[in-house]
Amino acid sequence: MLITFGAIAFFFAIIIVILQFSGIRDRGFTEYAVGGRSFDARYQAMSFLNTWYPGAMFTAFGGMAASAGVISFYVLSYSLLTVVLMYLMARPVWIWGKTFNLRTQPDLLALRFGSRHIRTIAAVVGIISGIPWLVLGMQALGTLFQHMSLGTLSFAHSVMLGVAIIALRQVWTMRMGMRGVVISDMAQGIVAYIVGSATLIGLILWMVFVRGITFDTLDQKMFSIPSIGSKEGPLYVFSLILTGAIGGWCWPYIFVRLFTADGVQSLKKSAALAVPLSLIFGVALLVFGMLGSQMPGVSAHPNDVWFIVSEQAGGLWLLGLAGVIVLAASMGHTDGNIQATGAQIANDLIGNYWHLDERQLIVIAKLGMLALTILSSWLACLELPALFSLAILAYQGIIQLAVPQFLGIFWKRGNTYGAIAGMVVGFIIAVVLELEYPGFLPWAYGLTSGTVGLLANLVIYVSMAYLLPQSREEEQRVKELFGLVKEGRPLTAPLSQRVQQSGC
Amino acid sequence: MSDQGMADPGRHASWIITWFILDAVVALAPPLYWAVDGDRTSVLGLPIAALYFVSVAIFITCSIVAAYLTEADRADAG
Repeated sequence: MLITFGAIAFFFAIIIVILQFSGIRDRGFTEYAVGGRSFDARYQAMSFLNTWYPGAMFTAFGGMAASAGVISFYVLSYSLLTVVLMYLMARPVWIWGKTFNLRTQPDLLALRFGSRHIRTIAAVVGIISGIPWLVLGMQALGTLFQHMSLGTLSFAHSVMLGVAIIALRQVWTMRMGMRGVVISDMAQGIVAYIVGSATLIGLILWMVFVRGITFDTLDQKMFSIPSIGSKEGPLYVFSLILTGAIGGWCWPYIFVRLFTADGVQSLKKSAALAVPLSLIFGVALLVFGMLGSQMPGVSAHPNDVWFIVSEQAGGLWLLGLAGVIVLAASMGHTDGNIQATGAQIANDLIGNYWHLDERQLIVIAKLGMLALTILSSWLACLELPALFSLAILAYQGIIQLAVPQFLGIFWKRGNTYGAIAGMVVGFIIAVVLELEYPGFLPWAYGLTSGTVGLLANLVIYVSMAYLLPQSREEEQRVKELFGLVKEGRPLTAPLSQRVQQSGC
Repeated sequence: MSDQGMADPGRHASWIITWFILDAVVALAPPLYWAVDGDRTSVLGLPIAALYFVSVAIFITCSIVAAYLTEADRADAG
């Protein structure tokens, strides 16, 4: 136990030292919320990965690969496809963000649709939907600490220990804002995805050459993909990949990465740096999970495959390293979630209706982060049997932001009425269907509730775009907004004010 | 690398957009994954069912890296 907890303590101390020495600038809210738009491609790439892949990748998706096999590879498809979207969005989102000092995802929606109310709606949906996932992330640390204690701690005590450590880490998130998140993401990301990938590859080689495990020894069910005649339906995998790829950008803590870069080229370069790392990590993890299913003890506890195989291959030292890797991935995701939510509470809820100066915005963001940390820590220590179902429900709901977000960025037509009505109807459809048919819709060939909600959302958005055309002033404002992206020229102040006037 | 408030010059070339569209097609088109359902024939050490997903992943990765390298060269030249 000394070795495993010692490794965790050592890593935690390193992260704190890095944060302490990176310093805190005297700054405004833009510095606090998006790190002053100052990060180069390397920081951007690692920050994206550390937010995108939580520690649960090792347990939930490693476990899925160990129990269900090749179907788990869908996570790889959508995780890479989403970077294509990042590459395409980089230019308009960054230019609008820089020009109009946008700090959150709802800021962008408010600018594009010229409505302050859409900012509130997007923020409320984002904050509420994020809480179950934040709580699940904290609870997942319980599995980690139970393994680190070699089974001597109960699961309840392990969860409390995990929550205490991640809550302590939030002291620095609150103090340093986005700068602290991105700087620590670099160190955490190197450990989680570079050291993690190397460890996964080493363990795969060990299983193949020392234990003689290959794909030939796996059960036939490990190679099935839901197809025509399957229980889930032929469009199930399509639905998972589609909603995963476009839905990822609906999370405020993912979207805000587009505002932290120091330029469009940095964002594009970060995409080019992140995809090979994502490819290697994803393939290694899923192949590891599939092969690991043959190891003793894994079939009874597939979600523990990462810890079980690590301990069997390398004893307590490797188990300690496995714990450090999961903690590194978990911290990045949790920090990003809490930081983005705090910024939204200040910028999009309180600041949307009361005029606050920069200092007041920072204070409210910090208080919001503190409140969220306390709330989610408390919830994580409770037994909430419906939590996972709530999280799935939240995901099917939040992806409804995708229609106004992507069409708003790439299509000049569309208005605030269509955006709000589409989101609301899509959200209701997704929630009702998910409650009635959890997982997938048998009568819709395996489409998920969120996909059906998205279709309705899309129809409403496009219909309203043609039925309620933009006014001449709004059309001109949107045209100028898109003109900034097309021409790539610096803005003059009067144009900036005119384009922004009804939005923010 | 900072753009100092300027957009990067140029738009995406048509071949880049075409490649990105193909990324979506190969990742999402149901007939492709229906075709490899349950196929455990080993090619390059991987069962075909897994090889399909890995090939899609490599295809998408190459598209983004190629797009960045091309556009970075063009930005440098411009």
